[in-house]
Amino acid sequence: MQGQRNKKDRKLEVRLGRLRLKNPVMTASGTAGYGAELAEFFDLSELGAIVLKGISLTPWQGNPTPRITETRCGMINSIGLQNVGLEVFLREKLPFVRQWDVPVIANILGTSAAEYTRLASALEDAGVEGIELNVSCPNVKEGGIAFGLDLKSFRALVRAVRKRIRRPVLIVKLSPGAPGIEEFSRAAENEGADAISLINTIPAMAIDVNTRRPLIKNRIGGLSGPAIKPIAVRMVYQASRAVKIPVIGMGGITTGEDAVEFMLAGATAVAVGTATFMDPMAALKVAGGIRAWMERHGIKSASAITGAMLA
Amino acid sequence: MFGVRSCERDPLLKRPFCYFRKRGDEIDILYRVVGKMTSIMKGLRPGDKVEILGPLGNIYPMEEAECGAKIPLVIAGGVGIASVYPLLERLKGKGILFYGGRNKKEILLRKELREISKKMVVATDDGSLGFRGTAVEAAGDFLKGRDREGFVLYACGPNGMLKAASGLGVNGYIASEEKMACGIGVCLGCAVRTKDGYKRACKDGPVFRTGEILFD
Repeated sequence: MQGQRNKKDRKLEVRLGRLRLKNPVMTASGTAGYGAELAEFFDLSELGAIVLKGISLTPWQGNPTPRITETRCGMINSIGLQNVGLEVFLREKLPFVRQWDVPVIANILGTSAAEYTRLASALEDAGVEGIELNVSCPNVKEGGIAFGLDLKSFRALVRAVRKRIRRPVLIVKLSPGAPGIEEFSRAAENEGADAISLINTIPAMAIDVNTRRPLIKNRIGGLSGPAIKPIAVRMVYQASRAVKIPVIGMGGITTGEDAVEFMLAGATAVAVGTATFMDPMAALKVAGGIRAWMERHGIKSASAITGAMLA
Repeated sequence: MFGVRSCERDPLLKRPFCYFRKRGDEIDILYRVVGKMTSIMKGLRPGDKVEILGPLGNIYPMEEAECGAKIPLVIAGGVGIASVYPLLERLKGKGILFYGGRNKKEILLRKELREISKKMVVATDDGSLGFRGTAVEAAGDFLKGRDREGFVLYACGPNGMLKAASGLGVNGYIASEEKMACGIGVCLGCAVRTKDGYKRACKDGPVFRTGEILFD
């Protein structure tokens, strides 16, 4: 039985550079906390990888409320990268998630290249399997978005972090607002990223017409959920054709079929975000859905789906 | 607290409701129809399915009230009555209830509430029933000349009401109302500003100590 199960699991295996994932499904940063809450619902080792909430050097308190509002087929958030900071993360949060047999990917953010490299070094020393550079959060001015929209500082940042770390895979999370997604994708690859991930949320706004007030205190937030999926699929398609490194696709994935769509477009792995807010078990259900799709279509290996869209 | 979601997945996210009361093996939810989800709920028929996640979050601590050390002073605004109903039931007639609404029509379950409270004062904004004014004002009148140390506060209602209730000088607990996305503590959407920084209404709350929340 055990042997059979392992064999079955191998079918879903994919690789991000040196990192082997049991299945292509990861959590999207900011939708899984540091793992403790989701661990109340399922065995975290069932995930391909867990991508944790973004961490900065010092704690960030986040934006005023209301921070979220639901819109048709999606939601807008402006959390503002609230996080406990590196020190508390290393002392209290990381040891907890390390208990599971799952690759841990830390998402990092800062206001300068020096902050990013310090974070990356400390996290490499702490033994994380991957580091995702957040250069695309739309909700704070200093949340790295400046790096995500300017090619020159983007290149310099990826290069600086690459120089600093050896073992963890380096993932760069791109902004959907990047002027030329192919160009940014290639730049990440050329500067030594092991993978790119996209898309982050799309800047958006909603107003209550009865009170005439914005539904998010910060007025503008980031749109996520099924509403953004076709945009995300298109960008993953464009990015994956521009580079040879693996692409992690995300944006509105709620089912196995959604994940397969991103993979057909060129994604090697996928991340589930807003769907986890709808259902804490969403990521596992997406993984199960990929397996079911593969069985229906006689596909033996998840990696064979990547880029397999037919003309 | 429970998260309830339509099986049609529209709206996408669950909506938070508190536990109201149990009848046999059924649980009642008391809600006001305000938007899409509650409109869907109103149209549900026996046998229809919804997704429910819960129980979530914490509940009112009741030790001081149950052992008789303090008299429970309960303040509810509008549908906020739903969250204090099981508290009053559990306290078996020990609670003094101040229940406010905009008008007489908004005051529900008068007979049942009278039975499970030691004393009940109804307050309406338009004076169509009971005290003319807010439940917090009615409670303030009641407290005049009484030792506030002898009471423990339980309050649930809109933010303005909670702020006013916190100003009564009675220590106790208030249940916050925030928009929520995940309900399990991962999204940080339902943040409540407290003395110790932002906390999560869904996971650290929804019940907080008086004085803990910083109102605008």
